[in-house]
Amino acid sequence: MGEVIVITSGKGGVGKTTTTANIGTGLAQLEKKVILIDTDIGLRNLDVVMGLENRIVYNLVDVIEGNCRLKQAIIRDRRYPNLYLIPSAQTKDKTAVNPEQMKKLTEALKEEFDYILLDCPAGIEQGFLNAIAGATRAIVVTTPEVSAIRDADRVIGLLESAEMESIQLIINRIRIDMVRRGDMMSMEDVKEILAVELLGIVPDDEEIVISTNRGEPLTGGDSPAGIAYSNICKRLLGYEVPFLTFENKTGLLAKVSGLFKR
Amino acid sequence: MEQPVILKSNKYGINLILNEELPFEELLTAIISKFHESDKFFKNANIAISFTGRHLSTEEEIRIVDAITEQTSIHIICVLDTDEQKELSVKEQIEAFLKQQEESTGQFYRGTLRSGQILESETSVVVIGDVNAGAKIVAKGNIVVLGSLGGNAYAGAAGNADAFVAALHMNPLQIKIADVIGTGQDKSPLERLRGRKKQLEPQVAYIKDEAICLETLKDGMFENFY
Repeated sequence: MGEVIVITSGKGGVGKTTTTANIGTGLAQLEKKVILIDTDIGLRNLDVVMGLENRIVYNLVDVIEGNCRLKQAIIRDRRYPNLYLIPSAQTKDKTAVNPEQMKKLTEALKEEFDYILLDCPAGIEQGFLNAIAGATRAIVVTTPEVSAIRDADRVIGLLESAEMESIQLIINRIRIDMVRRGDMMSMEDVKEILAVELLGIVPDDEEIVISTNRGEPLTGGDSPAGIAYSNICKRLLGYEVPFLTFENKTGLLAKVSGLFKR
Repeated sequence: MEQPVILKSNKYGINLILNEELPFEELLTAIISKFHESDKFFKNANIAISFTGRHLSTEEEIRIVDAITEQTSIHIICVLDTDEQKELSVKEQIEAFLKQQEESTGQFYRGTLRSGQILESETSVVVIGDVNAGAKIVAKGNIVVLGSLGGNAYAGAAGNADAFVAALHMNPLQIKIADVIGTGQDKSPLERLRGRKKQLEPQVAYIKDEAICLETLKDGMFENFY
């Protein structure tokens, strides 16, 4: 039986979709059978980041409304034999789907996939409730900014009330040079405030922009963010991987040998 | 047409505003049906009632009280007199009782109170965890936070100006005790979030000279609190 994981944040623009794409790719590289679902109905974009936009025929709403069979809406990523995507609809809105229907869908997918990753829309309304309905595990993405932290705190509260079995945190776009100067919250600061288990930290890396533009997730590559995402995937599978520390030597983020345990 | 009876709740119970002209029997039926309408709300409640708007004979008062007791699930503890002297003393007794309730009993809450969450208590409350910015505690009694208080705390919410708020680390946005509001220090959002990392310094907030005063907890200090 597969596991259903929702990737959420409250605030928009912190990197939920990029995180979903990269974790999905990373888990597929680790030979898991993975399906990504874009639950952001009306604002479809996971397919763009995955570079699969031109393959869409049917979408999530078509499946829910019975316009097509489930299999017909699933797009296989040709780069990885076990990575799949159900895209979102562009023309409908969040009310086209309800939590019960999402639960039924994820239940059906559990039979066939090891991991079902749900890319949650920003906000805490219907779209959020749809996305978390079938999930037993949540990954909260935040950046080290006060507004993102505040929203993450709110969302963690809602996930706790919804009795989510596991809630883990990813801190995205951390800039070690700014943390050193005291101009940005550190990993310790964020962890202390939000008081949930840390799944990973992803450094601010221009390679992410390049990878998104190309429609090719960078997990598994040797860029700092690529390494960070690979580590996150291993931790998701239960391996103990120490957190990376990044040192700013030549103005670039460079991996150093000093690794700290949690 | 004027309503035969209007129910108004106050701190002490329910005030019935009665129509002056209606024949008594009709009025009685109207009162009962009014209570029936809101039976769910009043279910098994212990309340004190009072009458205004119409002069009632002792006999009429008794009939109303009996009818309510017999035909609804409400327990009437007492009828408050409109006699001011008497009313004042009853109100005082009720207040003393409520105050004692608020101060001498309490509840525990375990876990982090996060942004958007509100904890309300009829008594005093002890939070074992942090109260993050955006979260709020409202208690009729005292509030003790065994963690960092970064949100809003409202103690003595029923008007008890002797209530206090204590925390292992004080970093609140606002503290309100009875009717007095104190705002936290002006800090940048980043400083505010980070403030909590600094060394623990247990503090207590209480009303002093009509303002919220914040003081570091010292030995024996609580002897001044009730």
